[in-house]
Amino acid sequence: MSRFGTLGAFLKRDFFIEISYRTAFILQLLSIVSTLLMFYFIAKLVDPSPSTPGLDGLPYWPWLLVNLAFFIYLTGAIMSFAGKIRTEQTTGTLEAMLTTPTPLSTIVLGSAVWDFLVTSVRAIVYLLIGWLFFEVGIRPEGLLPGLLVLALTVLAHSGIGILSAAFILYLKRGDPITYLVSTGSALLGGVFFPPEIMPEFLQWASRLLPMTYGLRALRRALLLGAPVTDLLPEIQALVLFSIFLLPLGIIGFRIAVRRARLEGSLIQY
Amino acid sequence: MPTALLIDHLSKIYVKRRSFREMVTHPLRRAVRIEALRGIDLEVRRGEIFGLLGPNGAGKTTLLKILACLVLPTEGRALVNGIDVTREDDKVKRSIGFVTSDERSFYWRLTGRENLHFFAHLYGLDGAGSRTRAQELLEEMDLSEIADQQFMSYSSGMKQRLAIARALLHDPPILCLDEPTRSLDPIGAKHVRRFVSGGLNAGRGKTILLATHNLQEAEEMCHRLAILDRGRILRQGTVAEVSAGLSRRDHYVLQVSGREGMPSDPRWAIRVEQEADGVLRVFADVDRGGDAFSALLRAILNGRGTILTCTLREPGLQEVFDLMDPSGEGTGESKQ
Repeated sequence: MSRFGTLGAFLKRDFFIEISYRTAFILQLLSIVSTLLMFYFIAKLVDPSPSTPGLDGLPYWPWLLVNLAFFIYLTGAIMSFAGKIRTEQTTGTLEAMLTTPTPLSTIVLGSAVWDFLVTSVRAIVYLLIGWLFFEVGIRPEGLLPGLLVLALTVLAHSGIGILSAAFILYLKRGDPITYLVSTGSALLGGVFFPPEIMPEFLQWASRLLPMTYGLRALRRALLLGAPVTDLLPEIQALVLFSIFLLPLGIIGFRIAVRRARLEGSLIQY
Repeated sequence: MPTALLIDHLSKIYVKRRSFREMVTHPLRRAVRIEALRGIDLEVRRGEIFGLLGPNGAGKTTLLKILACLVLPTEGRALVNGIDVTREDDKVKRSIGFVTSDERSFYWRLTGRENLHFFAHLYGLDGAGSRTRAQELLEEMDLSEIADQQFMSYSSGMKQRLAIARALLHDPPILCLDEPTRSLDPIGAKHVRRFVSGGLNAGRGKTILLATHNLQEAEEMCHRLAILDRGRILRQGTVAEVSAGLSRRDHYVLQVSGREGMPSDPRWAIRVEQEADGVLRVFADVDRGGDAFSALLRAILNGRGTILTCTLREPGLQEVFDLMDPSGEGTGESKQ
C-alpha cells in the first residue's frame, strides 16, 4: 500500500466524519462571507493611501484580502498538525493507529491532509468571492508564480507544524510554537498592516517569519502580476526557511516520539 | 513448541514528570519513579493462550503496550516471533494484533465498516483488499447487520467484537487482549471467550496473550498463566502448577449426618453449612502431612457422625490469589 493510498484513506475518513455533521459546511461558508464583509467595511473605513509604505501602490482592500486568505490558510495548515494529533489523543484513536505498521510520520501527515484541503478551498473561496463581488483584481499571469510561492510557503510552515505536533505529543497542551507563529505572524508578518509602518526593531523581527516573505510574494504575484524573477528575494528566503525548518520539525518530532514512548505518555492527554 | 513471545528480564520504570510548581518549591527533590515491571521473564509458546493475571497496577497493560510497541522498556528484551520490539517495530506490528478494552479507540461518527476500512489501510491493505477483509470479519464477528450503522450506536459487546475484528485485519499470528470482557455482560463475555478460545486459538492456531483480572476467565481459557503483582511475576505455569504447593493445607468438602457440631482442633479450620434432612456440608482446611486428616475423620466418627461423602478440592485461582494476596492487604500467608 503506497503512502498516497494511506493518505487517501485519511482523506476519506475525515470526509465521512465531516459530512456526518450536516450543518458544518453551510456554517463555514457563512463564516467566510461574514469575515469578508467585516474586513471589507473596515478597509473602507480605514482606506489608507496606496502610497503608504509596504502597500506596493495597491488599495488597502485587495492587499488585505490576499493577506487574509493566505494567513487563514497557513495558520490553519500549521495548526492542523498539532490539532489533529491532539484530537486523536483525546478521542483515544491515536493508540489504535499507533499499533498499526503505518509510520507515525504518515499518521501525522495523513491527519492533516483534510484540513489542508479544506483550508485550500477556503482560501480559494476567499479570493473568488473577493474577485467576483468585492472588486479585487487577480492577475492571471501571477497565478503560476503565486502557486510556486505558495508551495514554498506551505513547505516552510509544514516544518513549523510538525514541530508543533512534536510539542503536543510531548507536552500534551500548551504548544508554544503554534501560538508564537500564528500570533507573531498576525502581528508582524504583514497580514493586517505592512511591516514597513512599524518601528525598525519590529520590522527586523518580521524578517524572521516565513509568513512575511510568503505574503509579500503572493500579493505581488496575484495583484501586480509579478513574474518569478521579481520574486526571487522572497523565494530564496522561503527556500532557506524550508531547508532549516523542515529537518528541524522532523528531528524534533522523532525526539518527541522517542521520549513519549520512553515515558509511556504517547497516548496520554 | 516454538516460542511466540519471549520476555527476557524486562523492566519498565516510569519517571513521573514534575510540575512547574514542584520544580519551584522543591528544586532539589528527585522525580518520582514508578517501577511498572521489574525484571519479568516469560515465554509464550506458539498456539497457546497465556494469561496475565493480576490486580490493577500489576503491570499487565504496560507489558502488552511494550509488545505492541507503544511503550519502550527501560531494561531487558521483548521478542515477538523473534523480532525485538525496540528495533523493528513495523515488523512486530505486522505480527501482533492488539485489542484494547477502550471503546474510545474508534471513530464514533463512522460506521463499523468505515472504521474497519480505514484501519485496514493502515495495516497496508489496498482498497479492494480492505473491503473484502472487512466484510469477512464483519460476518465472522456477527456484525454484518449493523456494519453500516454509526459506531456510536453499538452496544458494548458489539464494540468489543469490532475491536477484535480490527486486530484481525492483517491476520496476525499473535493477539494481545487487554481485558477484552471488562465492560461486557455475562452473555457477551461468554461469547467473546468462546470465540477467542474456540475460533481464534483452537480453530486458527493464534497465540493469545490475555491480560485479565477475572480469575474465572483465566482459569477457563488459559493453557498457562502468570500472576503479576506490582511489576513482578509471582508464579507462572498451568493453573495446577501455579496452585501446587502454595497452601500448607488441603481442602476437603464432606457431607456428614448424625452430628450437630464439629470437633475443633488447631490442625484444621472448619466451616459448616446446614443442608436438608440434618445433613451438614463441611468445608475443612486440614494441615497437610501428619495425621491431621485421620484425626478429623476419627473425631467425626467417634461423635456418632456418619460421613456420607468426602471430596478433596483442587485449589482454584481464587484461592491461589487469596493465598498469594497480591494486593498486599491480607495476611500474606504464602506471599512469595
